[in-house]
Amino acid sequence: MGRYHYVFPKWSNALLPTLCVLAAVGPLYAALLVTYGFSPLTTDIGYQPVQPVPFSHHMHAGQLGIDCRYCHNTVEYANKAAIPPTQTCMNCHTQIHKESPNLTALNESYATGMPMQWVRVHDLPDFAYFSHTAHVTRGVSCVECHGRIDKMEVVTQQETLSMGWCLSCHRHPEMRVRDPKLVTDLGWSFEKDDEAKRQFDSPEDYHEYWLNHNNLAPSQDCSTCHR
Amino acid sequence: MPSVDQTAPRPRTGKTYWRSLEDFADTPEFREFMFREFPAGASEMLDSTQRREFLKIMGASLALAGMGISGCRRWPEEKIAPYASRPAGRLPGIPNSYATSMELGGVASGLLVTSYDGRPIKIEGNPEHPMNRGATDAWAQASVLELYDPDRSRHVMHNNQASSWDNFSSWAKSHFAALREADGNGLCILSEATASPSVLDMKRRLLEAMPNAKWYEYEPLNNDNELAGSILAFGSPYRAQYHFDRAKIIVSLDSDFLHAHPAAVKYTRDFASGRRADDAPKTMNRLYVVESGYSLTGANADHRVAVRSGDIGAVAGHLAKMLSSAAANWVGSVDVAKPMLQQMVDDLASHRGECLIVVGPRQPGEVHAIAHLLNEELGNVGRTVSYTARPDAKPQAASIKALAADIDGGEVDTLVILGGNPAYNAPADLDFASKLGSVGATIHVSSYADETSKRCTWHIPRAHYLESWGDARAYDGTIGITQPLIEPLFGGRSPIELLAIINGDDVGAGYDIVRRSFGGVIGDADFERHWRRVLHDGFVADSAFAEQSPTVRSDEAEAWIIALARLASQERRGLELVFTGDRSVYDGRFANNGWLQELPDPLTKLTWDNAVQLSPSAAENIGVKMGDMVNVSLNGGSHVEAAVLVMPGQHAQSATLTLGYGRNGVGRIAEDAGFDFYQLRSSDSMGFVGGATITKSSGSYEFALTQHHHALDTIGGKGTQDRLPTIFREANLDEYKEHPDFADHRVHVAHRLSLWDESNLDNADYKWAMSIDLTTCTGCSACVVACQAENNIPIVGKDQVKRGREMHWIRVDRYFSGSNPETPDSVAMQPVPCMHCENAACEEVCPVAATTHDRDGLNVMVYNRCIGTRYCSNNCPYKVRRFNFFDYQVREPVRETGLMHVKPSYYTRPQSDTHPLQQLQHNPEVTIRSRGVMEKCTYCIQRISAGKIKAKNDWVKAKPEDRSSRVTVPDGSVVPACAQACPAQAIVFGDLADPNSRVAQLHAHERTYEMLEELNPKPRTRYMAKLRNPAPSLAPAAPSSQGSAHG
Repeated sequence: MGRYHYVFPKWSNALLPTLCVLAAVGPLYAALLVTYGFSPLTTDIGYQPVQPVPFSHHMHAGQLGIDCRYCHNTVEYANKAAIPPTQTCMNCHTQIHKESPNLTALNESYATGMPMQWVRVHDLPDFAYFSHTAHVTRGVSCVECHGRIDKMEVVTQQETLSMGWCLSCHRHPEMRVRDPKLVTDLGWSFEKDDEAKRQFDSPEDYHEYWLNHNNLAPSQDCSTCHR
Repeated sequence: MPSVDQTAPRPRTGKTYWRSLEDFADTPEFREFMFREFPAGASEMLDSTQRREFLKIMGASLALAGMGISGCRRWPEEKIAPYASRPAGRLPGIPNSYATSMELGGVASGLLVTSYDGRPIKIEGNPEHPMNRGATDAWAQASVLELYDPDRSRHVMHNNQASSWDNFSSWAKSHFAALREADGNGLCILSEATASPSVLDMKRRLLEAMPNAKWYEYEPLNNDNELAGSILAFGSPYRAQYHFDRAKIIVSLDSDFLHAHPAAVKYTRDFASGRRADDAPKTMNRLYVVESGYSLTGANADHRVAVRSGDIGAVAGHLAKMLSSAAANWVGSVDVAKPMLQQMVDDLASHRGECLIVVGPRQPGEVHAIAHLLNEELGNVGRTVSYTARPDAKPQAASIKALAADIDGGEVDTLVILGGNPAYNAPADLDFASKLGSVGATIHVSSYADETSKRCTWHIPRAHYLESWGDARAYDGTIGITQPLIEPLFGGRSPIELLAIINGDDVGAGYDIVRRSFGGVIGDADFERHWRRVLHDGFVADSAFAEQSPTVRSDEAEAWIIALARLASQERRGLELVFTGDRSVYDGRFANNGWLQELPDPLTKLTWDNAVQLSPSAAENIGVKMGDMVNVSLNGGSHVEAAVLVMPGQHAQSATLTLGYGRNGVGRIAEDAGFDFYQLRSSDSMGFVGGATITKSSGSYEFALTQHHHALDTIGGKGTQDRLPTIFREANLDEYKEHPDFADHRVHVAHRLSLWDESNLDNADYKWAMSIDLTTCTGCSACVVACQAENNIPIVGKDQVKRGREMHWIRVDRYFSGSNPETPDSVAMQPVPCMHCENAACEEVCPVAATTHDRDGLNVMVYNRCIGTRYCSNNCPYKVRRFNFFDYQVREPVRETGLMHVKPSYYTRPQSDTHPLQQLQHNPEVTIRSRGVMEKCTYCIQRISAGKIKAKNDWVKAKPEDRSSRVTVPDGSVVPACAQACPAQAIVFGDLADPNSRVAQLHAHERTYEMLEELNPKPRTRYMAKLRNPAPSLAPAAPSSQGSAHG
């Protein structure tokens, strides 16, 4: 006896202030966590999955200068820019590096006729309908969405591809339109284009010409992408 | 506020409209039903104990979901599997179309099937095919669902045990080799009716190799009587080809040529063209229909008389007496009012060469023969009717009867059944199902392991027509090719491939068999070039049957008349049963097709079941009401218990029984649906039979009827009467001639003011709009199924339909009019999709802006924003919005759930393997909607997008000097699924911004009106008022001073 059983222990003195701090900081922390943690800036940009074959766009498109449309040849006609069939790779690789261990999966696909299983990098949600042909035909370059693919050893997502990001360009397409012939020239810029510089005084003039010439007035309606 | 002018004289047409007998009687229950936005229970899910259970499950699943979020990416990794070697001409993501044919009841329709990345997903009519011209019926539209039906048979079965192809082949090899040795003694083949050149070629080879083998044919919905009539009239079989576009007066005796006819798609188009009375001199055809129960043709008649099917022969006899000297001796009473009959005769007599008498397949041969006689004497032959030869036509009932006799005589050791389902649908008196057991070896090739398969030694899965090579002939004889769009999903074989096994043919693959037989069709010279042409076109050009000119043996007319009088006196007694194919499941073969089961019957509005259709007075006499069980029995003793559906317009002495239901053990959809009336149908009375008795039995049955769902008015009786003449506007031809703008004056719109700023769409690049012509729409509902296929619309099941949750984006409203429910004056059919109002009521109430306008004038639904408040549906005056109460895409349709509660298992039950297979049918261009979101007609926005992208690309690629000032989408290049399927071409879609577009011209037309314009919604979908052409002497009380009073 003598002890008083119902007194709070000493450490409990610190409990209340601690809880107060937690209550003050906790929601802020959670809000920041959700805002930045779930933002496409975090979840999507920099997404770089491992592919079954370590295909280097840097070498093929950049160093060798193969046009995007040699492989992604549906881009001008279809909504999808299709991944090329194995056959397209084998047009060269029956001659070049055919024994390379990197190409095992490719050779196997070619031999069996079973498709390669590439991992999708630029993955729009299934309720968003994007059309490559509508963009490419009217002078929106690949680089606007995909970045400098020709410099990537492994393809990485460069932009958020979020709805707000799409709309930013649909609202202000001015500086993102060029001569449709140049859409696959990923390194193009007005400054480097002597022909363009001869015809136009400034990049603004150049872009405005193509905007009008191709009758671009991008829609911001929901129905443009969602059906 | 704009409003209906309440002081205006109310139903100004003098018409009273009603949807059903409850509506007509305006019962309190009906008012209650109408008052609720959704039927009772539709918005209540669970009782309290179940709710607690439900919350527990929800809580647990949330916790699990929380743990799952820890991954750093928002959605699962997705794989891309490109072709190893892409076929030439194939671009991933661009659909391809292939021309093919579907055979139904021995007659082909020419189709164009869309294949998306190797999956056939949508069926359209072949625009170049002479019969289809781009349109289809609901059956063809729905047939793609059967391809992906998980209940289709997947294995070879031997004595109901799973077996294998190897077992069958090794057995068949020796078995048929022995039979060939024996010249085919004891071998019988029972085929479906077919005119396929390849099947006929294989048949010839089989009978050459085995001369003692016998070939029989059976089709439950056949035209035996037409055949008999042609033999009576001409001495040999001919097929009548009608030209409704040239006929001014049409008399149909029990014929449903607008729906239950192999050439209905063409006939609907031709009939519709004869009803467009807009150009001078504003004439249209007049249709008289004499029938026992409502058919679609009867619903579109200017004058319809309900007569017992057994008494329709007397009507033919009377017409013959009045119109032909060859049959002047007819005596007999006719069950048609004198003035009507006289008008019919006068009209026929005064339109020589431009009238037409059509007889339905139920009527005995003599009636057909008389029609041939009258058509000839009225000078119609060569004008409104022509004849083609009918090679290889066989009377089907006689054929299966002969087979049954052979089996009884012990002459059949091996029976091969190519398609069909005789154990289920053979005439009941043959007792075919039990006879199968006495045959040594029976082999059945069919899509489902059905009633027949279960009684056969061997069951062979049949390849769907989208999986196999074949050919067929259209009604006019045009030879069509059937080409596969996909490898057989379940390894099925086609009948010709089975015949090759039987024949021991060294040509075994379907492709080679068809090519071989096509040598005889297109000639061996330059074969490859012709063959490629056929594959491209889908049919062989100019291969229709040659026209013949047979003469009617009018000297025998006297004998037909005597036979008819005898038949009529035999048939007169008592109640008759009329057997007819079902408008959903045909003869039962589509019983497992969910789209068709859930398609409301155009007239009864019944889904998921069939019923005994009785007239109101007959039901009263028997003492039954809608849904009561009755016992239907025949003198012979066979009887069936079934539920009663009280149907206006039915003859009091006649009960209509639709065939094809009551199938069990076939598949999940067909299970327990409806009643099997084949048990009452015998081989000598395939059409109708007299002397039946119907007595009240115990219990009742719940139907899923859609006729009160999504009603435009929320109060019964009076509200309907006030508004319907403005909702459905119609006039007789005479009135139209006098007041071409009658449609404008049906409603008084005081002013058009809005509470809010109206959307300003004046300067839009495109103004999409639709026009629906009520004059030509027959109500066939092909549009409903076409929309369902195109837009990934789920089926919901009978239980959910009962709760008013069916998801169809376009519905066909059907109203009867008239003051007597026993004999309605007319039927009104009105397809109602989303109207895409410029002042859309739905948009104003959505709290999350999930439904908004786009600048082309579309009222768009943004699924991802929708939180499911359903305010929009509540506020929509047209009631065209549909809510996903459940994830219907991954639920199996529930048929019965007892009381008005969803059982918890509906939420929690693991779904079976159906899902991935049915996914293959989905249109990847359209979002799959999940639970809790609203959806509705989008005007097929995916097709609009494709059309716009193409037009804009073409514009950009054109030389600057060739460019038009504005990017226009060529008129007709964007066609929504409903408009594309419509056989009557009643739906027209296009761009109002183009003043030359068809829709712009139709919207400016004097018949065009806006439904509910008094609410000022400015709908983009507008209707063209219905015109009828009753004989002036018979027209019901002529509406007076139409249109002049208001303006």
